[in-house]
Amino acid sequence: MTLYDKIKSIYPSLEDKDFINVITLQNDSDGKGDYIAKWEHPTLARPTTEQLA
Amino acid sequence: MSSLVISGDTSGAITLAAPAVSGTNTATLPAATGTVMVSGNMPAFSAYGSTVQTISTASYTKIILNNIEFDTSSAFDYTTNYRFNPKVAGYYQINGSVWWNTASGTTYCETILYKNGSIYKFSPGYITPNGYGGAGVSSVVYFNGSTDYVELYTIQSSGSSQTTSPNLYGVFMNGSLIRGA
Repeated sequence: MTLYDKIKSIYPSLEDKDFINVITLQNDSDGKGDYIAKWEHPTLARPTTEQLA
Repeated sequence: MSSLVISGDTSGAITLAAPAVSGTNTATLPAATGTVMVSGNMPAFSAYGSTVQTISTASYTKIILNNIEFDTSSAFDYTTNYRFNPKVAGYYQINGSVWWNTASGTTYCETILYKNGSIYKFSPGYITPNGYGGAGVSSVVYFNGSTDYVELYTIQSSGSSQTTSPNLYGVFMNGSLIRGA
């Protein structure tokens, strides 16, 4: 399951536009995988490490 | 006088030489202050990818540009960070392209120039179900000649992972100095 899938399962109300405007997932191709580079959603809290595990 | 040699204050020298051909030519220096640019201090590079990358949906992902076509000033890191970090300050023309394998449905994608770790310019495109697809980006970028660098990223929004189709012709970044600082 990708980071995107995990976040969508935590917050099903998120739309694709949210991942352009207020949430940025990033992968620097350094072997560490996807990560949350920016989370500026006005109402939903950034998922915790435990939630994303 | 076939050449004029100007010695440095402490060491070194520069020689201005006339061509050994007949005729008279005039080279006029501009009424401006700055470093004279010659081919030896005008970096140019071309890097391309050969690694198929699986790109998660909605995730800005750096393109692995692990091959060099040319790199006149050894300013492109093609082993670790896949970035161009020139040591000559100025304005560079930078171009990039990302080419994708066929998607199951028409999918929005972007090819993005990241400068110093942040989005600088992007160009939109589509991955199609009937063939390949992608997007190219082009921009003039200022580099300070020390810390500034640029990388190539991409993103797609299909809702599932998609793969790139890397080769010399479709997944690349190249550029050259076009004006000194």
